[in-house]
Amino acid sequence: MDDSKTLNLNVRKDFPILSKKILEKKDLIYFDTAASAQKPNTVINETNDFYKNHYSNVSRGVHTLSVESTFRYEDARKKVQKFLNARSENEIIFTKSATEGINLVAQTFYEKFMQKGDEVILSLIEHHSNLIPWFFLRDKYGVVLKFANIQPSGEIDIDHFDSLFTDKTKIVSLTHLSNVFGTELNEKVISICKDKRVPILLDGCQSAAHLKIDVQKLGCDFFVFSGHKTYGPAGIGVLYGTENLLSEMPPYQGGGGMIGDVSLEGASYAELPAKYEAGTPPLVEAHGLGIAIDYMNKIGLDNIIEHENEITKYAFNKLNEIDFIEIHGGDNKRNSIISFNIKNVHSHEVSSFLDVEGIAIRAGHHCCQPLMKHLGVNSTARLSFGVYNSLEEVDKFVIALHKCKEFFNK
Amino acid sequence: MNDLINDLYQEIILDHGREPRNFGECEPHNKSADGHNPLCGDSLKLTFLLNDQNIIEDIKFIGEGCAISLASASLMTEKLKGKKIEVAEEIFKDFTNLVSGSDEDLKVLNEEDSLYALKGVGGFPMRVKCATMAWHAFNQALKD
Repeated sequence: MDDSKTLNLNVRKDFPILSKKILEKKDLIYFDTAASAQKPNTVINETNDFYKNHYSNVSRGVHTLSVESTFRYEDARKKVQKFLNARSENEIIFTKSATEGINLVAQTFYEKFMQKGDEVILSLIEHHSNLIPWFFLRDKYGVVLKFANIQPSGEIDIDHFDSLFTDKTKIVSLTHLSNVFGTELNEKVISICKDKRVPILLDGCQSAAHLKIDVQKLGCDFFVFSGHKTYGPAGIGVLYGTENLLSEMPPYQGGGGMIGDVSLEGASYAELPAKYEAGTPPLVEAHGLGIAIDYMNKIGLDNIIEHENEITKYAFNKLNEIDFIEIHGGDNKRNSIISFNIKNVHSHEVSSFLDVEGIAIRAGHHCCQPLMKHLGVNSTARLSFGVYNSLEEVDKFVIALHKCKEFFNK
Repeated sequence: MNDLINDLYQEIILDHGREPRNFGECEPHNKSADGHNPLCGDSLKLTFLLNDQNIIEDIKFIGEGCAISLASASLMTEKLKGKKIEVAEEIFKDFTNLVSGSDEDLKVLNEEDSLYALKGVGGFPMRVKCATMAWHAFNQALKD
């Protein structure tokens, strides 16, 4: 407990927003990092500095500012490559969001490797962003989608998942860390894909800042995450793909920067990674993401993970003791996310009530409507933790929950 | 307890949220519409019977959602039953203004009205949609 307090005291001051008073008097307790993480001073200052002192377009001009901008943009790519332990910078594509990364893969993978009647395996716990891009393939091209069941623990049912494969299965796309349950994908799922030689995309939006990611060790073929959930700016996402697949798939969007040579008769396309980066990229945001990665590395991802695990476990045990709380997803290990309901109180009421206590939590369906239906709930309340949270905040939260329960049952 | 919370959750709101009035489907009915808040998943179905004098003879709803959305739908049905369409449309406009935080220039609603209890929603901009879902369904049904 002492270590965690020390860690918290050291980093809280790095996040200027955490000194904001909610409704002019309440200390902010930010438990909504899974929706978007707060930004450290270094990210805020460095993005500012980019605009003030270095800004121009990337990879186009030859003047000083263009060189400085290009250096920062490509340096960010190197940082992301190391962060994910990708083999090469060519495997790191900057997008505007993780969502765009999934759409990119769905469209271009289909174009190269699939036809009508081919199958994609997803699961019941997917975020809408890992459902709808594949729905598009179903609606437009007659691709068949199959959905792996989940166990009460919130984990994918391995036997059911295994049974979904046929010789028409072309790709699997699953969340690496559930944004509702906080459960990590069982690595057996990836090894099944390897055995069957079917590529797998991992949606790493929730895992990227909360687990140590090594795409080579994981053995995934694609991995997406977003900058804003990893203490970086919004408007920047990352798609990792193996060089083999990215080389074979066609470009996603056409425009400047992604071409080799253009005549009025046609065009050749740029090499990786530029092939997938049509148009002026979110260059300042990419730089900001690089700075966010520096920030996490400075604290140490192992320290961050240990800290968050401790808070998550502490909060889980506290919530588990309360009889009017229903926690979703069994007793298994969670990473930085807990979904729950107060019995007979809608999650919106819980969130509004906590808001005036200065506590920010997410309430709603978490962009997982099929999962909510499966759980038989309309919505859940969700706690999610980041590097800046503390056990004391959890204690304050638990007191507020009791007040909330009392208020709505008066 | 915080004033904002007490303003938002007045006793009448909690009461109607727990036990919504006119809960069910109107039989017969000649107008209906679904209300849905895609951001949170709350939904309802509104049915009503409009007679040949353009009076809402009966009006009911079914749905699931938070206390604010259920109470708002419940209070709406109580308010609109027996009203002429033209009056109902005025109430709709007033109500929309009220929950958006402006109670000036109201034409038909006043502080005596039970609907006034929803004024506190104005302090929670993200909850305005909860309070207006049923009303937008009503407006939609009139257009269809």
